[in-house]
Amino acid sequence: MVRDEMDRRTFVKAAGAATVAATSTAGCSGIIGGGGGGGTLIYSRGDHPENYDPQQTTSGEVAKVTNQVYDTCIDFVPGSGGQLTDGLANEYNLQGRTVTLTLKEGITFHNGEELTGEDVRATIRRFIDNEYQYFLGENRSGYASVTFGDWVDTVEVTSDYEVTINLKQRYAPFLRNLAMFAAAILSQTQIENLGAGADAQGELGLDPKGTGPFVFEELDNANERIRFSAYDDFWGEGPHVDELIIKTIKSNQTRAQDLINGDSHITDNLGAQGIQQINNSNSASIKRKDGINVGYMAFNQARKAAFRKPKVRRAISLAVDTEAIVDSIYQGFAVQADQPLPPDVIGHNDDLEPYAHDPEQAQTLLEEAGETDLSFELATFSNPRGYNPSPLETANQIKSDLEDIGLTVEINQFSAFGPYITYTYTGKHDACLLGWYTDNADPDNFLYVLLHPGVPIDDVPSGQSHVAWDAKGNANNITSWANTEYMGYVNDGQTTYEQSERETIYQEASRIAHEQAPWVFIDYAELIRGIHESVNADSYTVSSVGGPYLELVELN
Amino acid sequence: MVSNRFLIKRLLLLVPVLLGVATFVFIILHLAPGDPARVILGQRASQARVLELREELGLDDPLWVQYLRFLLDAAQFDFGQSYTVARGQAVRSVLATRLPVTIELALYGQFIGLLLGIPLGIISAVKQDSVVDHLGRIGALSGISIPIYWSGPMLILLFSTFLGIFPASGRIGSTIFLPDHWSLFGMELPLTGMVTVDTLLLGDIGAFISASRHLFLPAATIGIYSLALISRMMRSSMLEVVRQDYMRTARAKGQGARITILKHGLRNALIPVVTVVGIQFGTLLGGAVLTETVFGIGGIGTTLVEAINATDYTLVQGTVLMFALLFTLVNLAVDMTYSYLDPRIQQ
Repeated sequence: MVRDEMDRRTFVKAAGAATVAATSTAGCSGIIGGGGGGGTLIYSRGDHPENYDPQQTTSGEVAKVTNQVYDTCIDFVPGSGGQLTDGLANEYNLQGRTVTLTLKEGITFHNGEELTGEDVRATIRRFIDNEYQYFLGENRSGYASVTFGDWVDTVEVTSDYEVTINLKQRYAPFLRNLAMFAAAILSQTQIENLGAGADAQGELGLDPKGTGPFVFEELDNANERIRFSAYDDFWGEGPHVDELIIKTIKSNQTRAQDLINGDSHITDNLGAQGIQQINNSNSASIKRKDGINVGYMAFNQARKAAFRKPKVRRAISLAVDTEAIVDSIYQGFAVQADQPLPPDVIGHNDDLEPYAHDPEQAQTLLEEAGETDLSFELATFSNPRGYNPSPLETANQIKSDLEDIGLTVEINQFSAFGPYITYTYTGKHDACLLGWYTDNADPDNFLYVLLHPGVPIDDVPSGQSHVAWDAKGNANNITSWANTEYMGYVNDGQTTYEQSERETIYQEASRIAHEQAPWVFIDYAELIRGIHESVNADSYTVSSVGGPYLELVELN
Repeated sequence: MVSNRFLIKRLLLLVPVLLGVATFVFIILHLAPGDPARVILGQRASQARVLELREELGLDDPLWVQYLRFLLDAAQFDFGQSYTVARGQAVRSVLATRLPVTIELALYGQFIGLLLGIPLGIISAVKQDSVVDHLGRIGALSGISIPIYWSGPMLILLFSTFLGIFPASGRIGSTIFLPDHWSLFGMELPLTGMVTVDTLLLGDIGAFISASRHLFLPAATIGIYSLALISRMMRSSMLEVVRQDYMRTARAKGQGARITILKHGLRNALIPVVTVVGIQFGTLLGGAVLTETVFGIGGIGTTLVEAINATDYTLVQGTVLMFALLFTLVNLAVDMTYSYLDPRIQQ
């Protein structure tokens, strides 16, 4: 008992001592850590994935990192809006169903191996060839089929630096596919050293070894950041800094403040408030560029019969005030959309104008269609995305505009994006808000991927401009729209290699989409980046596809 | 001392609690809309691919099969691999990386709460109805009422933007990277994952100062809430104690007021405070989710939110179970401390 009493006394004393010690610790302060400057470039962003394998992801956040470490055979010109240029290949050609690539000589991977055609072949086989010993495995990324699997038949290495890719069919966008992040060229040696089996290959993303401007040095998951060093033997321009750190701060406002404080040099995905913080500061500024994306409201024609009538779709397009949405809700960081293709993409039809806000005309069309008391569900996600910074406000504006013409709209809000995609991709919505960022800046990446039903024209029932949900061969077409005239143009566009001819084809397809209004075309959003004054502003180019090109960035 | 019987009884009680939590989280996750396969493959994949992957992941098995599989694995502390957030990594290793981050934050928050809350509560009680007491009570009420998503940015605005004393985000200077082990007598030992502890183990004082400064604002944000509750509890508890006969007797025997309060009053008044500290630990873990988001700290809180958004079943299940385990263990520790301070509780 006495001993217990003593122990308790000691315990209370110890607690008191700890209290005093903690007070003194909490009270001490020192210099502000971090900060950029010198040769270290710090890029901040809002998310931190933990695996950086370009073949195991669909995430743009992963691509931001792999684009620093890896190169592609063909690249996008930084800031060009999708113009192609040399990557690892200095010659590339698409003739019929054959792609030939001539690789630059003397390029080395970060593991010291020289790049040859065998690396290109091993990369493609790892992604799509289930007979390859080092096959990554089925269903590791939705990009496997989109990038290579649907198109590539065989890959031949004709000499150390010559590669021939034989396609299953003519496919005009294929060269652009070779510039996508998912087509990054991996080291055959690293692939083989990892060993056979999907689990072994899955490890590649923890220590990626590419030919890119930065060497992946350390993945610090506990602090959500990655450290890179400049690759001295990089074959292209740059890098102009010694070290690169990509760190994560989830809150937009805190990320903006971090930039203003000089603790990071460049940041992305700023919300409206973050942009305002930066605009109000003296030490940082905003850089903006037209994005290659589109935000829209899709009509599910497979589920809602009224949406099969073009007059109803056009009436709703006329009733929704998209100008008010981009000006007031998106605060001017977007422009009104008038067709599926954003302005920088070939085939964008300059003759088209956004639907004017005209409630009277809308009501007339609804009366003609016999749908004056239409009611439907509008599904929406909640968190901002690049093409829609305020989804709930957008949905409310649409609801209000449509109620003005007598329609009833019930908003169905999803808090998480994953379940939302499942919901819309299984056709449970009447109408929904969604959008798209380009993969390769090709018109096919919008017009086929988003609005073609993925079936032969002959399979569309006669007199019908939609297909049943389960009959679709294209998951991304969440409207079930199947306009055979449009499909004909888009099919032609896939197999036409002559640029001007292709442009005309897609302009026609865009015209049909505009007239038939399978979506309410809402906006093309700008890309907004914050940069600190310590960055040479001219050296950083905001890219709407590919990048960020951090190897070109110079610090003052 | 705490009796073994008491300890074993409390440990056995953990089993039904954890089983209940595991069942609850499994049901909630599988009732909620969403398909991990679609999230993994992204918008680009065809529905046929999504169905294939569902089969591969065992998501098309009957729910009871999935449930039993989950329970059997969880019993062996195997929560499977993360589907999306930490693609391909064992949930166990994600927890091992992220959990110390949150625990460190919660401990510092609790520390600040205890440090300031106990003295504030004592002063308020001793100087009842004085200006100090009123200010303390107003402060405590405000601390309980102000949400973290408001107090966090306000602290950033004040201490980072205007005063420039503390950094706005992160756990350590952006350019400071620590090695993955430390050495003791030539032996390489793993680090703890708690950055202030690790910098000390490594003997890197510069990094320790940087880490302390980075952690101050987030810990203070959590600590404000804790402080408010502890000071309120300490005040009311102390008010009861100071009216007890033994306190009067001690004073009548000529003992000084300060000694009487600290020696006889504090220990007895601490008992309810210790209880609150334990119960509050769960709140602190919850608060860490918001605090981590505001201050850009990659702990288990933000990971859990990401996992929920990405329908990462395995990671959500593993994390919630780990939270539940932690919470129950802390409460066990509190019960032990409580029974230690007042042995009658074991009866």
